[in-house]
Amino acid sequence: MEIFVAQLLNGLSLGSMYVLLVLGFNLMLLVAKIIQFAYPHLVVLSMYVCWAVLRYTDNMLLVVLASVASCIVINIAIEPIFRLLAKRHGLDINVSFVVSMSMALLITDVMSHLLNYGYPIAFPSDWVGKSIFSSGLIAFSAGQAYALFGGIAAVVAFFYLLYRTRQGRVLRAISENSLLSSIIGIPIVKTRVLSYGVAGLLGGLTAVMLARLLGSASPGLGDFVGMKVVAASILAGLGNLKGGLVCGLLLGVAESMAIGYLAGSWSNAIAFMMMLIIMLIKPEGLFGIRA
Amino acid sequence: MKKNSMLRVEGISVSYGPVRAVDNVSIEVNEGEIVVLIGANGAGKTTLLRAILGVDKAQSGKVLFLGNDITGKSTDRVAKSGLGLIPEGHLVFSTMTVLENLQLGGYHNPREIDSNLESVFESFPVLRNRLDQTAGTLSGGEQQMLSIARALMSRPKLIMADEPSLGLAPKVVSEIFDILRDLNKKGYTILLAEQNAKKALEFGNRGYVMETGRVVLEGPTQELMSNPEVRHAYLGSNV
Amino acid sequence: MSSVLYYFLAFTGINILMCWSIYLPYRVGQLHYLTVACMLASAYFSGFAAREWSWPFALILAAGILIGVLISLLPSFAIGDAPCFTVVIVGLTIIFIFKTAVENSAALGGTIGFFGIPEVQHLLPLTYLLLAAAGAFIYRIDHSRLGRAASVVFVDKNTAAALGVDVKQLGMFFQIAAGGIAGLAGTLYAFLIGSLFPEFFNLGVIGTLMCMLFTGGHSTMWGVVVSVPILEGMQLLLPSAIASWRQVIYALTLIVIILLLPGGLITKRTLVRFKGRSRA
Repeated sequence: MEIFVAQLLNGLSLGSMYVLLVLGFNLMLLVAKIIQFAYPHLVVLSMYVCWAVLRYTDNMLLVVLASVASCIVINIAIEPIFRLLAKRHGLDINVSFVVSMSMALLITDVMSHLLNYGYPIAFPSDWVGKSIFSSGLIAFSAGQAYALFGGIAAVVAFFYLLYRTRQGRVLRAISENSLLSSIIGIPIVKTRVLSYGVAGLLGGLTAVMLARLLGSASPGLGDFVGMKVVAASILAGLGNLKGGLVCGLLLGVAESMAIGYLAGSWSNAIAFMMMLIIMLIKPEGLFGIRA
Repeated sequence: MKKNSMLRVEGISVSYGPVRAVDNVSIEVNEGEIVVLIGANGAGKTTLLRAILGVDKAQSGKVLFLGNDITGKSTDRVAKSGLGLIPEGHLVFSTMTVLENLQLGGYHNPREIDSNLESVFESFPVLRNRLDQTAGTLSGGEQQMLSIARALMSRPKLIMADEPSLGLAPKVVSEIFDILRDLNKKGYTILLAEQNAKKALEFGNRGYVMETGRVVLEGPTQELMSNPEVRHAYLGSNV
Repeated sequence: MSSVLYYFLAFTGINILMCWSIYLPYRVGQLHYLTVACMLASAYFSGFAAREWSWPFALILAAGILIGVLISLLPSFAIGDAPCFTVVIVGLTIIFIFKTAVENSAALGGTIGFFGIPEVQHLLPLTYLLLAAAGAFIYRIDHSRLGRAASVVFVDKNTAAALGVDVKQLGMFFQIAAGGIAGLAGTLYAFLIGSLFPEFFNLGVIGTLMCMLFTGGHSTMWGVVVSVPILEGMQLLLPSAIASWRQVIYALTLIVIILLLPGGLITKRTLVRFKGRSRA
């Protein structure tokens, strides 16, 4: 029972990170009509930015600002490539996947060549934080608290933006029908850039929280997280935001349970096996495609 | 009295691959007028409207709106400059509420949204009671009204309506035409593309007849109505 | 033969086979990365069967192809007509699972690698003979009813279905055929290289194959025949300091090609022009 509660807490804090990434990923899919496979890789890159900034200052605000700024800037800098791609190929999400997969490889390879000589980076131990609550096997670290509560706050803010603000309305309008949106005078390119910006903002925040949760990062982390984020989006049904919420959390919990109850190196394979089975049974996702 | 020209299309052509959908078409719409475009399905009416708005790119020719050359400009900028299109097939953002649809229509003048909403409700009292309803759950006629209302939210200088009667019950069609006529009385200039030639010719001041991408006839609607060819081809009467 | 030339020829042959195994399902618009998992499974099986059970080469070759076919057969019941991106992720997931299985299996060498696969006489000429056979097989498919149906599915699934094409069956056929070719590539890889590492079968190898396929041109089978030797050769000719960045080079090449030369080097039009000239 204690293992269960402990892993449930682990799973929820990990899952809320997946949820944020799934939301950012889906937002770009819905609004810009692209599959940004390199999005989790950008987030890992922002973790490296956090790490670099932490060597000079331990001011939390500065770290968050640096992480968010780097993620937004790079994500928006990538946008013209996808715009050119759409001009050449039309809005073909599969071609956008091929291009973003190349970007992912590029980012991973650059990280493993240039950053920290390719070795994994470790965040300072007080950054991860002491456990703020513990009883038997159950321990809740400050990092987990940041991830869980920060994650919830970010999700709430995201849905507020999307459903309660003028810009959010425009984002949803384009995701439903971009032609009609342009006919009524909504600037498509500008709004698409906005979606990259919002995803970048989410990514930058996630990078800080992931750093606090995991305490380390490596060049290979992008591929690893990327696969899970994309798989969770497919399980939910591509572009389905609310489904992504459920599946992101479920994936985090399932993975943590596998780690808690099964032999170490197999736990990830188990998580992938579960995803695979659901994908094979329901290729359109559990909650239906909305893209 | 010669009225001010609002929209001038000078010899535009649009092709989809080898198919020339609009071939060297010139039309003009003056301030305060109702101009109708009639022609069979596939005559190029919709393509012409889309080309004016910049959705389809014209290969040649020029579009002047309020004296400015808008050829090749992006659709959202053309729309912002005062051209409101009511697209074919009563298109609404079906997952969003009626209010949200209207707010989107007023994207470019956020400060006047409330006053515009009030004036829209005067023409469309039905919508006032349905503000929180999802647009996809409205009936076809209501969706068409929402589509018109949404266009009005941007205070357009020229309303282009593409087949507003398509797929609607005859009673609703009359209602829609009454609304459009009211709008014209309130000062809106209207360019209407319509397959239903009889209704359109009764409704408009001037008209253009399109066939396979070209304008084959033009003139005041009375003249067109008495033209034997038009009567034969579009009004179904045996002369 | 110098070892550089040997590896150039070996990798060129295997990569052309693997590119074809991705080209084939892409005819119906699917990026079927599962073939890399087929290659992995067949390579490890071949190595194991040769070293531990001393099976003859011909038997292993047949078994390798069969393994590729079987591995792509089962998922194809589910993803024969799935959206392209679902097929991608199913493929990546299965690769990952297979990789984890190998890494955790002491008999297959775990993360250290699998060594000591016995040599086979005249393997390189044999490889190219089998490559030609696989090419002939793909050419046959391309110029059959199935190939024409695939071209319609690529453009629009609904139109194809309306024309009476069984989209799912067609997708399954292409996926299974691709699995067989990848199985062949896996067996050849095991014997040509002589050692296997789970690390090899990662996202990078898919990036490399995609770069080769899109650079050559994804609309005909001949594109990769041109692009693979060029890209493999480039890697050998570059100074080693730059060659270690090959992943970056491939990724950049792929992005640039897709943006600037969407059809790749060899398109259907190139072929028509080529045929016209040879006739004249």
